[in-house]
Amino acid sequence: MLCDDCKKKPASISFKEVLPDKTIELNLCDECASKRGLLVNRKLSPVEILQKLLRQRSEQDEKVICPRCYLSLAEFKRIGRFGCSDCVMTFATHIQHLIKQIHQSDRHIGRKAAPGTKKGLEVYRLREELKKALESELYEDAAKIRDKLREYGIKDV
Amino acid sequence: MFDNIRWLIPTSKKTLPCGEESEIVVSSRIRVARNLNSIPFEVKMKASDAEYLIGLVKSIINERLAGEFLSLKDLKPLEKESLLECHLVSPGFIRKDKPASVFINEGGNVSVMVNEEDHLRYQGISCGLNLVNLSGAVFEVEEMIGDNVDYAFNDAYGYLTSCPTNIGTGMRASVFMHLPGLVFTNEVEKVLKGALQIGMAVRGIYGEGSEIRGSLFQISNQHTIGFREEDLLERTTKLAKMIIDIEKKARDVILTKARNEFEDKIFRSLAILRSARTISSGEVLNLLSAVRFGIGVGIVKEITLATLNEILVVSRPANIQLFFGELLEEQERDIKRAEYIRQKLGVN
Repeated sequence: MLCDDCKKKPASISFKEVLPDKTIELNLCDECASKRGLLVNRKLSPVEILQKLLRQRSEQDEKVICPRCYLSLAEFKRIGRFGCSDCVMTFATHIQHLIKQIHQSDRHIGRKAAPGTKKGLEVYRLREELKKALESELYEDAAKIRDKLREYGIKDV
Repeated sequence: MFDNIRWLIPTSKKTLPCGEESEIVVSSRIRVARNLNSIPFEVKMKASDAEYLIGLVKSIINERLAGEFLSLKDLKPLEKESLLECHLVSPGFIRKDKPASVFINEGGNVSVMVNEEDHLRYQGISCGLNLVNLSGAVFEVEEMIGDNVDYAFNDAYGYLTSCPTNIGTGMRASVFMHLPGLVFTNEVEKVLKGALQIGMAVRGIYGEGSEIRGSLFQISNQHTIGFREEDLLERTTKLAKMIIDIEKKARDVILTKARNEFEDKIFRSLAILRSARTISSGEVLNLLSAVRFGIGVGIVKEITLATLNEILVVSRPANIQLFFGELLEEQERDIKRAEYIRQKLGVN
């Protein structure tokens, strides 16, 4: 699509303003948009930097595969998403520069995840077991599971 | 017909002036992305994994927090749109084809999307400039769930996210500002270019010259790794305050140079809101912008920002239908919207 103003360069920005009596829709190139005083953010955004870097592909990419979720580096470059928490370390040497270019840093200095107590996971698992035991009319098992849940401070079982 | 109007009321109430500078800052928002170690991320996730995660999060939350847990598949299209209009979910969330849910706390200011692009997306919204308090509310829920699950975390890269653009803190803090003064004095570009230089993203749409329609801008942090969460909040707040100062000076310029012209715009806008018999949501947005400016500079005294914020939320296309409890065609909607606004502004 060509720019609505100069009709020469391809439009890169679409702009819409709703007025009481009409709606203005414009497709403009960077230059004309800036002439009209419309804000143009031409510094690449993190998403744009990511897209640009992901286009740098190599034949080796097919061979680097996450051992846990089987996402290949090639696929990662195609979709721009990790498949599991192990992908990051599997691809570490290939993606470090990418993170650095996007964020101008590759070192986390923020909050640290406290090791979860896993209590929630355990309570959830027990509740599911309790449900199954009751469905199968295994009342003795159900009573044992209920006692365990009570040890976790769960009263409404 | 729709009993899910429940979230609409706390949402419009929570937009009461609660942060600083609420005549310029429309809202502050925080989003924090988290994933679990034990489950594949979104692109590798099966429907059964998604169901498992929802069950797990629901059981943790229900035992500890008051609020509502809504399943995406149970929501009517209008209800999904309304949640979006209230900024409680993202556009990506309502388009999901895998099982997904959202929890909304009792106050309507914190929500947790389950199975959006990341396993968990914590979100907080508040009116006015309020990032630090808001982060407290968001991280309280994040920690409560974190005590019970294993967040995907790595010492070098921090919290691991689906997309590399969110890695580290997983946090995005944003401030929505109404800047008609900067638009009028042609300073927007200069100010916002400065923001980009210090690693902040800016988005905005505005009209030319003396137009005070819309004039809404959003600033947010672009980088999520290499900073502590407090630093990101401070940088965003600092930049917002700097822009607010320039906006205030620009408003003084307007009042000296073009008072009559602006007073006329403000009172005409108010008159339309008070008298219209049919009105579109786009027009309401523009007129509210003029009136908000009028309240900010003390020209309009009889209307509060709280009323204005409530109209802003409730008059959106899906919300107005939920408010009246019926499905409405566009024309009927415009009539009902006008009726609601007249009533809110004390005219019948």
